[in-house]
Amino acid sequence: MSEQKEKKKTKGIIRWEAIIPTLIISVLVGAYFHLFFDHHLKSGLEWAGYQAVGAEVDIASVKTSFFDASLSIQGIDITDSENPSQNSISIGEIRYAMLWDALLRVKFVINEAVVEKIEFNKPRSKPGKVKPPEPIDNSPSFIEKEGEKIANKALDQVETKYDNNVMGDVAALLGGGSSNAQLGKLDAQLASKKLAKDLETSLNSKKTEWEQKLKSLPKADDFQKLGAQLGQVKTSGFNSPDELQKSLSEIDRIFKDADSKYKELQAANSSFNSDLNGLQTGLKDLDQQIKSDIKELEKHFKIPQLDAKSIAMSLFMPYVQPYKDKLFKYRAMLYKYAPPNLLNKDKEPEVAIQPRPRSKGLTYEFGRPNSYPLFWIKKTAVSSQAGASPYSGFIEGQITDITTNQLLTGKPTVAQIKGDFPAAGISGFSTVLSVDNRKALSLITMDTKVQKFPVKQKNLVNSDDVSLGFNKAQGSTTAQAKLVGYKDLNLEIKNQFQNIDYAVTAKEKTAEEILKKIFNDIKMIDLNVSSAGVLPRVDFNISSNIGSEVQKGLQKEVEAQIAIARKKINDYVEAEVSKNRQAIEAQIQQFKGQIDSEIKKLQQQADSEKKKAESKTDQAKKDAENQAKGKIEQEGKKAVDDLKKKFGF
Amino acid sequence: MTLMLKQIFAFLKLLNSDTSTTPLALGLSLGLFLGFAPFLSIQTLFVLLIVFLLRVQLGAAFLSAFFFKFIAYLFDPAADLLGQKILELESLRPLFVTMYNMPIVPMTRFNNSIVMGSFAVSILIAPISYFIFKSLITQYRELVVARFKQTKLWKAFAATTFYNWYCKYDQFYG
Repeated sequence: MSEQKEKKKTKGIIRWEAIIPTLIISVLVGAYFHLFFDHHLKSGLEWAGYQAVGAEVDIASVKTSFFDASLSIQGIDITDSENPSQNSISIGEIRYAMLWDALLRVKFVINEAVVEKIEFNKPRSKPGKVKPPEPIDNSPSFIEKEGEKIANKALDQVETKYDNNVMGDVAALLGGGSSNAQLGKLDAQLASKKLAKDLETSLNSKKTEWEQKLKSLPKADDFQKLGAQLGQVKTSGFNSPDELQKSLSEIDRIFKDADSKYKELQAANSSFNSDLNGLQTGLKDLDQQIKSDIKELEKHFKIPQLDAKSIAMSLFMPYVQPYKDKLFKYRAMLYKYAPPNLLNKDKEPEVAIQPRPRSKGLTYEFGRPNSYPLFWIKKTAVSSQAGASPYSGFIEGQITDITTNQLLTGKPTVAQIKGDFPAAGISGFSTVLSVDNRKALSLITMDTKVQKFPVKQKNLVNSDDVSLGFNKAQGSTTAQAKLVGYKDLNLEIKNQFQNIDYAVTAKEKTAEEILKKIFNDIKMIDLNVSSAGVLPRVDFNISSNIGSEVQKGLQKEVEAQIAIARKKINDYVEAEVSKNRQAIEAQIQQFKGQIDSEIKKLQQQADSEKKKAESKTDQAKKDAENQAKGKIEQEGKKAVDDLKKKFGF
Repeated sequence: MTLMLKQIFAFLKLLNSDTSTTPLALGLSLGLFLGFAPFLSIQTLFVLLIVFLLRVQLGAAFLSAFFFKFIAYLFDPAADLLGQKILELESLRPLFVTMYNMPIVPMTRFNNSIVMGSFAVSILIAPISYFIFKSLITQYRELVVARFKQTKLWKAFAATTFYNWYCKYDQFYG
């Protein structure tokens, strides 16, 4: 027992028996990474890709090497979510090796990544899985939903504004479709007609009311009586001050009486003016309603707007819409995956110390200029050779400085790619994309050109009356975009279409012939799309020579018919409402003249009686003053004479 | 799991035996350090390697790590504040910038406020705790174990055949 205790005590500080288990564990970990890790990483990437893109992502193989710190992903197929039987993009291989020097500093730096054999729209052997829409519980918050609603409403407004099928309406008009017969049916729907009736009723009730009121107002007789009373008041030869006081009181009473009657007339006058103003406002509202009714009728009977902009918007909105949808989709993806500090910058970031909020604590980046950022791909070479597959092309380009911290690298991320896809008929493609996050507000610029691309079976207008589009055409495009702070967008796209084979069919043969003639004369179409605003509330402005060309072509054929249709609508409204309106106006004028002159006459009488009373008062006062003066003088003279007598003069 | 439970039982057995207190106190102190350190960091790996390769009581280390992980969780808000204060010290900025750009050192995740705060606390407490644990074990053996062995109940149990069989088993396979 004691020997065993001694044996136990002699054991050294190192636990030698743990060496073998540690080695076994290390070997097992190494074996896992050698045998299974690549397969698990491949499955993980496919799952993450599916979650991020919303469509099946297939990867043929993944190879990693611990000692080279390298990764090679081969055969990446990303399903097109809109057409699952083809891939939106297929990449032959992506490979890169990380720098061990950076990895030891927990940084991921890649000197050169290579992307090879890029193919677009390649058919899949079997349709890819597309992620179903998100369940309601995972939908955005109430505020986000409301914001989205407002944004969608704004977009809908733009769309509906130009949703009027101008060409369909033109074809209907050319085909002789007449709406005049239906005008009579709309009789009850004319808002202006109802308004005119209401106004007439109101006018009649006012008239009756005022006729009643006029009866209760002071009459000419009343003022004459006051005049007579005033004439009888004594204004001179007063025998005593009492007599003068009595006259003045009488004049004052008559004056007050005349004044109250005058005020009554004034109140009636202002009340009448306000009623008159109300009627005149009603008349103005009626005019507005008539105009609005004419517009509504034009819309109802599809009288086309023959201006170049409306034609261009109507024709090309369906062409631009899918690209617009994609723009918003990619912006949403960018917002979802871009680091939060890039989206909410409000001050200039500091190079030396940048706290980044995490779920646990704050992680600081103690970077210094020219040190490694957390992630940095210095250069990604993109290349592909045409010929291997009809969906591939010649692609050459590079993406430089993809990083999590541009302040440390001091360079923006720049992608320069050019290429041709001979099998698809696309040539002269080049794009330069720059993402600069070095300032408080990020700046993304893009400059893209495609010298030649084919347009096949593009339907622009598809209505009951007309179908219009391209069977085939050859296009070229240039696009410039600028996005500041991931919000302020400025976009300019210029397209040209040549060698166009138009597809024009209309329900009416005459209309089809006219439209075919007009379109066949248009040899080249340009389409300029410009957009500016804060995402997603951006206005898309479309301009094209097609608008003016079609306008010119249609001018002779359609304008006369439009004028006839407009005249008929105007005549109809004239017959239904305008006559009433004129009658109402005349009645208002007559009513105004009648009441106005009556009140004015009475007011003049009242005025004159008031003046008479005032002059009488003045006269009585003067007379009294003169009498008093004479009396005082006489009494003074008598007093002087008495004094003279006393002193014996 | 079995290995871990076996080690914890071994710890309880050693705690109540007369063996040296050093491996137990060292295990508890290193466990404290493990409890405060983040799971995925180079210092955790380093301490685990020490625990495995040096003659440190594994059960004590695991039990202590498990216990101090909870303490560290409760201490997180304070560690976060302390870490932020240290990491934002202007005087230490050049040191941190150098450390951040050195190889291996960033693997400690020292630039995280909670890791830095917990590390600062554990590096201060761990050496002191070694002596405290050592003293506590000695006192436990003297005050609790020795007294318990003097009780009639224990003496009666120690006199049973079952206990004698257990002692024999422990002598050969324990």
